Amino acid sequence: MTAFSPIMRQLACLRSLAKPQSSISSQLGRRSITTSYTPKSEPVPLPNKLPKQFISQLPERLQPAPGPKKVKVYPPPASARNACKDPVGAVAESQMAILDPKGERKALFDYRRNPRSVKVGDILRVTFKNGDPFSGVCLSIRLRGVDTSFLLRNELTRVGVEMWVKAFSPNVNSVEIVQRTEKRKRRARLYYMRQPKHDMRSVENIVTNYLRQKSALSGQRGRGQQQRQKRR
Amino acid sequence: MSPRLRGKLTQLALSFSVPSSILQKNVLMRTFGIRSLNPPKASRFDIGSDLPVLKSTPTAALERKANTLPPRTGAIAIKKGMTAMYDPETGKRTACTVLQLDRVEVVSHKTQQRHGYFAVQVGSGWKHPSNVTKSLLGHFSINGVSPKRHIFEFRVRDESGLLPVGKAINADWFQEGQYIDARSNTKGKGFAGVMKRHGFGGQDRSHGVSLTHRSLGSAGPSQGGGSRVYPGKKMAGNMGNEQNTVQNLKVLKVDPGSGVVVVNGAVSGPKGCMIRIQDAIKKPWPGVVPSEPIA
Repeated sequence: MTAFSPIMRQLACLRSLAKPQSSISSQLGRRSITTSYTPKSEPVPLPNKLPKQFISQLPERLQPAPGPKKVKVYPPPASARNACKDPVGAVAESQMAILDPKGERKALFDYRRNPRSVKVGDILRVTFKNGDPFSGVCLSIRLRGVDTSFLLRNELTRVGVEMWVKAFSPNVNSVEIVQRTEKRKRRARLYYMRQPKHDMRSVENIVTNYLRQKSALSGQRGRGQQQRQKRR
Repeated sequence: MSPRLRGKLTQLALSFSVPSSILQKNVLMRTFGIRSLNPPKASRFDIGSDLPVLKSTPTAALERKANTLPPRTGAIAIKKGMTAMYDPETGKRTACTVLQLDRVEVVSHKTQQRHGYFAVQVGSGWKHPSNVTKSLLGHFSINGVSPKRHIFEFRVRDESGLLPVGKAINADWFQEGQYIDARSNTKGKGFAGVMKRHGFGGQDRSHGVSLTHRSLGSAGPSQGGGSRVYPGKKMAGNMGNEQNTVQNLKVLKVDPGSGVVVVNGAVSGPKGCMIRIQDAIKKPWPGVVPSEPIA
């Protein structure tokens, strides 16, 4: 670099002049299809209130975004579920209207609402359509609408016997309360009465006494008629 | 040996020369539904209008099923619970299940042409549109029905069983005294052992048995049997919550006003589950003319 004289250093500014000349000459050698430069046209602003029918004529990129497509939703029809909230209850009610039109049998076993109803521990006497009465101590009452039933326990020929009776069955002619329990039982189901310690054994004596008293009170009237009066 | 045309060309030639729909279905059209693993190959000897329908085709499959497919659609119902009904004359008690139909409507159809079989897609209930996916919402919208919470298909024998789309199915679609099949999922029992799930006997309480009183014994033979457990071996696992069909339930009572259908006996599943009821396939088809649904 020491060879560069101060004069040469001043001439160095000419180098920059020489360079572009060479690049221009190389560009001349290229072929180009562009003949003249046309500047990009300024986008014409859209009219403010363009009617809808003209929007389709615009190029796609200028069209306003359509937004999410609307799906038509149809309203639901009337609901049977709302019209009838408790179909099981409705079916049971319609059955009870036929089987127990006066609601007496229902009141007899509705121990939650009716204080005069049958309670567990009571001794009941049930007569059936086929003529065989059955009596026993009531161990439990199952409230299930038209399917309500109660469990009677007795002793026949020294053998403990239990029988579930459907309260609304057309085969049940009458249900009588022979003897109420002395104290209110503190259990809903008296299954402990199956144990020998608590077993009541036979209730036949109590029932025959009750029947004798009943016939004495009613005089010489027919037994069937009396039963119908007692029936609830 | 005559020069063979390439596969595609022979098929084209056949379809032009033979108007047989079977060949067209097998060869040119995409088949849906029941499909054979070994589809019949087009042969130049299989040409003729009087030839029988090949057994491994959807057409033949539908023909075979014609006797066991109901002619009309079924309905979706909700199990509401059980109660009893008495015959006032004889005093006979019948345990029964109360079902309720809620806004049951035909949503769409499946046709042999498009899907390979005939079926009616039925929906029930209502679902808020914001909770329905957009594709499903479009499906409901196109068919002109409100968004449904439950959708099921009911196969029918032919086009005559395709109830018009949007038609409401009310409780009087069924008539008292007819028989139905009730199809539903059983109550789920969770992960159950073999004694509960398959009724195995379990093992001894004592005699040297320890810690395996309720387990299965052996899972299979040893070296002679291949030293492996055979497929289908009954083991502990998830029990219940699988589809079950109870056949031939008599319809005891029908109330179109409240959408109630009372059927004889028990139906699988918990209260509030969805039950598909359709005409019993093992009883004569009922001839029912339902009245116009109450709007």
